[in-house]
Order: sequence, then C-alpha cells, then structure tokens
Amino acid sequence: MALRILDPGSQTTVQDLGRVGLRRYGIPSSGAMDQFALQTANLLVGNPPGAAGLETLLQGLSLEALVPVVIAITGGDLGAELNGRPAPMWTSFRIQPHDRLTFKRRAAGCRAYLAFQGGIVVPELLGSRSTFARGRIGSSLRSKDTLPLGTPPLTGASFRRSLPPKLRPSRSQEHGVRVLLGPQTKSFTPAGHETFLNSTYRVSPNSDRQGYRTEGPAITFALGPDIISDPTPLGAVQVPGNGQPIILLRDGQVTGGYAKIATVIFADLDRFGQMAPGDTLFFRAVTREEALLAAAETQRLVKYLEIALRGG
Amino acid sequence: MSPWVSILAGTAAPTRHPAISTTISEEDIGAACVPEVYPRLQPIGEAGVLVEYEPQISLKVHRKVRQLASALEQQPLPGMIEVVPAYRSLMVSFHPEQISLAEIQAAIEERLEHLNEFSLPDSRLFRIPTVYGGRHGPDLEHIAQTTGQTCAEVIELFSSQRYPVYFLGFLCCLPYMGGVPLRLQLPRLTTPRTFLPAGSVGMANAQAVVLPIDQPSGFHFLGQTFVGLYDPHQFPPTPIRPGDFVECPAVSEEEALGWKGRFVGECLGHGASHS
Repeated sequence: MALRILDPGSQTTVQDLGRVGLRRYGIPSSGAMDQFALQTANLLVGNPPGAAGLETLLQGLSLEALVPVVIAITGGDLGAELNGRPAPMWTSFRIQPHDRLTFKRRAAGCRAYLAFQGGIVVPELLGSRSTFARGRIGSSLRSKDTLPLGTPPLTGASFRRSLPPKLRPSRSQEHGVRVLLGPQTKSFTPAGHETFLNSTYRVSPNSDRQGYRTEGPAITFALGPDIISDPTPLGAVQVPGNGQPIILLRDGQVTGGYAKIATVIFADLDRFGQMAPGDTLFFRAVTREEALLAAAETQRLVKYLEIALRGG
Repeated sequence: MSPWVSILAGTAAPTRHPAISTTISEEDIGAACVPEVYPRLQPIGEAGVLVEYEPQISLKVHRKVRQLASALEQQPLPGMIEVVPAYRSLMVSFHPEQISLAEIQAAIEERLEHLNEFSLPDSRLFRIPTVYGGRHGPDLEHIAQTTGQTCAEVIELFSSQRYPVYFLGFLCCLPYMGGVPLRLQLPRLTTPRTFLPAGSVGMANAQAVVLPIDQPSGFHFLGQTFVGLYDPHQFPPTPIRPGDFVECPAVSEEEALGWKGRFVGECLGHGASHS
C-alpha cells in the first residue's frame, strides 16, 4: 500500500473517467465531476489522462504517503498543505514516506483532484475504478483506509511540471451553463422556457454527485411535470412539480419520470464539479454545432497537454 | 393531417393561402406541424437520439420498443454506444465524433424498415421467493384495509401474478414491472419513505417492484426477498432482461432467509415460455 487516509474530510472517493454503455442496466457513468482537472493532474505526473485519482470535496482530507511518490493537485483550491506548508496546485511534486497532505480551508471551487504517479489501482469493476457508492462499487474513503498505486510509467521522474496559469480554469461563484433544449419541449409553456433561460438559479445544499438541485423562479408547465418514465442522459435538466430545475450528474439515475427541459452540453459538465451550494448559475441555450465545437475544443486541449507535458 | 384540420377549421382558405399568415402565427403552425406520428425521433443532448412510440404503458407498445432495441443490439450501428429502452421510448447513445446526428437518425430509420429480420430474445421467468407481511412487509395491513381484503387474500393475489419486466433503470438494474391487478392498485405514498432495504417487494398503481439496492421509495411494500438482484461483480450485473417475467411466490421466513447471499440467476424458471 502506498497511501493512508488519516481523515477523508467531507467526502473523498476514487474516480477515473467513469463507465460507458451501462445505462441500460441502470449504471450511471460515475467518474470525476471535474474531468479536465483529473486529466490534467494525471498528465502532470506522467499518467495516462484517465488513470484513477482522488476526488475530495470541500475540506478536511488528510492523507499520508507510505512510499515516495510524485503527485499533482488540481481542481478547486481547497487550501492544500504539505506538512503544514502551502502545497503547489497544478504542479507535480514528489512526496516522501510520512509526508502529510491536508486540505484545510476552501478558497475557490469545491472539488480538488489528486493524481499519483502510477495511478490508484483499486480493482476495476464494470470497466472502471470509479466509486459508485450507492451501487456498492467502492465506497467513500474512511480514515485508516490504504490505497495501492500502480507501477510508475517508465518515462522517469515527472515532477516540477506545471500547467501554465492561463490554462487553469478561472473560478467564480457565478456559472454560465450551456444547454441543448428538449426533449420534452411541449411539457413547458413558452413562458416557462423564458423563465428557464432568463433567470438566475441558486445551487441548493441538497446537491451531490447524483444531481444538483437549484432554487429560483419556477418554470411553468403546459402539460405538467410527469411523463411516462424514460431515459435520462448525463446532464439532463429535469423539472419536478415545484418548477425548480435539477441537473442529473455523474452518479445520476438513468431513467426518470419528470419532464426534461434541456441537457447540459458535455463541455460544461465540469463546471458542476466546482459549484458549491449558494453559487448561482444561469442557463444559455446553444445550437448542437456550438456544443460539438466546445466538446472538441476541450478534447483538443487535453490532447495538446498530453503532448506538451510528455516533453516534461 | 389532423392538427391542420383543427387550425384551419372555420376558414375556407387552402393551406398555402397567404392570408393565413395574418391570423395564425408561425409558432402555431410550428406546434401544429410537430408530427404525432410514431415512432418519432428527436435528439436528446449532443450524443443521443430519443425514439418514441405511442405515449402509453402497454405490452403492445413496449414490444415495438424491444423490437427496435433488440435489432440495434444484434447489429449495432457504427458509432453507437448503447440502447437504453424504457416503457414507450428508447435512447440510442452514440459518439458524435464518429457519426453525425443526421447519419445515425437515418440509420435508425433504415433499421426500422427491417425489424422483421431480427428476432426478439426469448422471455424467461424468474421466480423470486418472497416472505410477506410482518416486519418484512410494512404496508401489507394498510393495503389489505384500503382495498377491502384480508392480508392472506392480498398475498394470494399478489404472489400469484406474473409481472412483465419493461426495462431496467433508475439505479442498479431496478426492474420496472407492470401487471398489478386492479384489485390491488393504490396510488404512490404522498411522502416517500427515505429507506427501504434491498429486496423489498412492493407496488404502486399498476407497477410492481423488487428493489435491487437500499433506496428511498414511494411504493407500498408487502414483502421481502433475500435473493440478490444486482451484482456489480458480474456482467451483466443482473440476468433479468426487458421482456422477462417475474413471480414473487410466498414462502416461509425460514425458506426466504435460506436464499440469503444467492443471486437471482438461480431463480430462473425452466421450461417457461411466454409470448
């Protein structure tokens, strides 16, 4: 074993990029809520972008290295410290046995990602190492849990690599989220659509990896909130009877009986990873072309980093 | 045709007469033009196509869903990820960088023309031993009182039914089943319970359910099975498929507990055939 959890904090789970093609069995994708952050952390330590790392929420995580290992911390700024001194973000560095990493106070965002050279190698289940606690696939980590790491890649020591600041996502407590409208367009009135696209919604405390609930002006229905249960894709925006949108995320259900007004585009799903209760968000409808372009841009950036950081 | 008829009622003008534009907004016509012709295809998100049949929960409509799902699974389309069936609709998810929306929609339309070349998988019967009432069925007495029957009659009626599985969904292979007899049907609880253990056997309206994991639910629960319905260490994580049938025969508590740790694959009835 290479790592020991001293305190899991608010919630710490093992995540990679998740599972694909199992929604027909009721298995959601799971995986990192902020996939760009996890991918970048992995690339900084010389891992493939989809290796498993840790996702930690808000604050309180404390862990100890049991072996020398190269790590990187990305995502939200949760006040990471190495042995009581500020630890760098978006930069790889080496830690030694008995070194302690702690996350003490949230400064921006709300989920940080830790990648370790070699990746965390808990067993793969249904094609992924991602925790899906409700489905008894792994569980949130507890104190005294230990984690194994894989063999480091042969490329040699990958530390002191850093993501240029201009490529690090900026953090705000206001989030614009792009959506594709539909499919239950007719369930809502035109005024309801207008409310949805022209209002600011506040993130409810009742939000987690399964879904984000929001509070704001109620969306009005033409046909009502109930539909014959049908499939809900990742990012689906459901509207229950109270008219307040719920966004289904990585651990979200695969079928549902509420009308869906829109789907969040892939490129903007990561934003929810850094969205905390009390933050505000607004929805903007885009065309399919814009959504595909944005997704391709994100993928291109990861590809670019993969090449650029390999050079070390 | 019919939406046009209602919009144009009272006007003598032919459909393309320019005068119509002064009385009917484009939105009206747009809404009226949405075809209520099934199956209907529309995009859902950037990587999905939603195929919808008639809006009803019936085995007849569901058979069409299964036929298309089965045809697509037997011979997947290029760029297709998976098919997620539901009651009257199914979602085809795909890699948009491998196939365009227009291309996959055309491919689905094309497949719809050739459904008769694909067979439906056989329906199987799973008999899931269930202990009813007492601490295993918190709502049994309430169901009996509300429907004007004795507890024994409720158990007899519920446990003698064969429930068709429409699809697996929500989370962790939750089977959506229908077929609860009218005499047992009750609306959902207005305030859902926050916790029910895996294996709880319940119903609401015409829907029957066996919970695969611990979860909240607004259904009425009358029994419990100790057979596992969902196992993430196996693939697929349940052997139950849309189109199969489930029975929940009543057994003693002792017998029910004897199934603890066993998997629903062992409950597969032999020689059962269903259309």
